[in-house]
Amino acid sequence: MKLHQKGFLLVELSRSASLWDEELIARTLREYGLSGEYWENSVRIALDELAAGGLVARLQSDLKTIRGKPMLTFHYALTDFGKTRMRDTGLLTEARTS
Amino acid sequence: MATAETVDGLRTEALKAHYARLQRWGFAWALWTAVLWGAWYVPGTALWYEKPYVDIAADDMGLRLAATAVMTWIHAIMIFGFLLLWNGALGKIPDYGRTIVRFRRISKWYALASLCGGPLAIFGSYMAMGFVGPVFAAVTSLFYPVIGAVVARLWFKEKITGRAALGMAIIIMGGIAIYGPGLFGELDISSNHAWLGYVGGIMSAIGWGLEGAVAARAIDVSDPDAGIQCRFTFEIFFWGLLILPFLAAFTDYPIGTLIVDTMTHGKAVLWILLAAACHAYCYTSFYKSFTLIGVGRGEAIGNLYAIFALIFIAAFTLQLPEWYFLIGLVLTVLGSFVMFSEPAESVAQLRDIGTGVSTP
Repeated sequence: MKLHQKGFLLVELSRSASLWDEELIARTLREYGLSGEYWENSVRIALDELAAGGLVARLQSDLKTIRGKPMLTFHYALTDFGKTRMRDTGLLTEARTS
Repeated sequence: MATAETVDGLRTEALKAHYARLQRWGFAWALWTAVLWGAWYVPGTALWYEKPYVDIAADDMGLRLAATAVMTWIHAIMIFGFLLLWNGALGKIPDYGRTIVRFRRISKWYALASLCGGPLAIFGSYMAMGFVGPVFAAVTSLFYPVIGAVVARLWFKEKITGRAALGMAIIIMGGIAIYGPGLFGELDISSNHAWLGYVGGIMSAIGWGLEGAVAARAIDVSDPDAGIQCRFTFEIFFWGLLILPFLAAFTDYPIGTLIVDTMTHGKAVLWILLAAACHAYCYTSFYKSFTLIGVGRGEAIGNLYAIFALIFIAAFTLQLPEWYFLIGLVLTVLGSFVMFSEPAESVAQLRDIGTGVSTP
């Protein structure tokens, strides 16, 4: 069975030094076979929640025009606290073994 | 052509707006928790005036607790139905499945949260109501955000700023101003069983307070909408597979008859259905608020249910609350504004963990 979406985002971040949200959104939509603005925003909200909880940190931000509207994009990296939480919940082991 | 300074200025403005929007959404979810929790009291109370519950004597504590277990189980099943609709509409049912199967490392926290907010808090609240009185039960429950905030602080370093703590204290004082005066007529220290009521009051504050902190362990790494459905799945199992079979097997309480009687009385079913609709989306909002404003703030704003419960009950029964309700109203609204006046940037990072980024 696939990982749940927030777990997938954390695992992807643990495999890279840092990633822009656009890349994370593209990977998530591809993994779950989804498309459209609703799911893009859904992933952005999940990343906002992870950042509020301190599991990921925003390294940079950029203002871009997406679908004709100005939108902030963020460059994310996993924090040490995020790594600890991933270990607590069995997500980091999977990232290493898969 | 835009200069680098103009672009930076626009980005800074957009960042401010982004954090302010997250803070607003967090508080809006917490406020929905309070509104729906308050609304829940109308069908939740009306249920006790319908058969088979109206026939249970007020002083028959054992049977009342058994009846509570039955109605809570049926209530949880209906909540599960409403959450299926919610997650179905959001397309999150697959994520619910992917989350609940990870029991050993993730969804066990939702199971523990359901034990805290279910049997521990509900039984505690009923003990407080039965052995001391309903006002005492309401007042002790008001302290649950303190437990939640302290545990969240100790357990995962949730930031409790001075302003958040002040706002929480003012909201609790507001709740006490509403319910407190009623305590004088209710406390009877000569009663031999009063201590059971005090234990129950503490159980309810600890149960509901702990629920937020325990659930946050799982919400950290999973979706709150999927999470709340996991929580109620476990609640159905706890009542339906453990507590009710235990009561049926080892006590004389008519558990089977109560279940059948509830389901065959249309009005009882209707009230449970309405209560479940309120509770399902109240809890959904509760869990969603934790992710954006933290357990302490989410639970403190949730405490505004004290105000909304009285407003809804007054609207349906046309019985106006006592004059001191206004003091409580002013204090709770003031406390909420004190909390909301925190800088959005400070709320955007809820944990006191430094940047802690291992990679640049």
